[in-house]
Amino acid sequence: MAAAESSPLTTHVLNTGDGVPAARMALSLHRLDTNTMIWNMLNVGTTDQDGRCPGLISRDAFTSGTYKLRFETGQYWKSLGQTSFYPYAEVVFTISDPQQRFHIPLIMSRFSYSTYRGS
Amino acid sequence: MSAQRLQQLKGHLLHDNKMSAMAGPVSPLSTHVLNTAMGVPGSNMSLSLHRQDPSTEAWSLITTGTTNEDGRCPGLISKQMFVPGVYKMRFETGQYWETIGESSFYPYVEIVFIIKDPGQRYHVPLLLSRFSYSTYRGS
Repeated sequence: MAAAESSPLTTHVLNTGDGVPAARMALSLHRLDTNTMIWNMLNVGTTDQDGRCPGLISRDAFTSGTYKLRFETGQYWKSLGQTSFYPYAEVVFTISDPQQRFHIPLIMSRFSYSTYRGS
Repeated sequence: MSAQRLQQLKGHLLHDNKMSAMAGPVSPLSTHVLNTAMGVPGSNMSLSLHRQDPSTEAWSLITTGTTNEDGRCPGLISKQMFVPGVYKMRFETGQYWETIGESSFYPYVEIVFIIKDPGQRYHVPLLLSRFSYSTYRGS
């Protein structure tokens, strides 16, 4: 959150079951180390009241590569006293041009989810 | 009715029977891949089903397959093997787009889900374009 510039990578989690932003959902960002084929965790965060999580990554750290956003959806539904079909949702994506902006939302209910590449 | 349409209808009607003849009962878990960008089934896509060991959290491979012309992959798992647990379907979406000469934002898609009641039927489809995907729990 200290970064002056906004993160080139953003997300937005929407709870379509209840028609609200998914606030207070834990999530983490990882990058794949292609030498070891191991995921390195870059950041952990929690969505705000609006379902967003600013400051995911700085421009300098945002290099080309394979990234993963992991959303703790199961925990989220549990905190609302509900079960869910998915224990978590992971979205793995390729960044070839880190100069662009990338918006990776998660639109989800207890029994479905979707994502798209936005900007 | 065109010959092609007749074939399609036969395929829908015979689907379950065909599998009964070959592999016994229909898999309690099914999938369907749809290429929403082009309005066609996602055919010839590699996929795999895995189950997580609850004590070690390691994934074991249960089956690999390729979607057919209709984007489906019959015979994913037998009733006996379909025990409660955490499962993962991995779709080789990046490979799929590459085969048709296109790039894609996602190198693959993994859907992790919990089966509490293996007595039910579960349908885990993937609706996919180069820059988006969605899934839902069907039956």
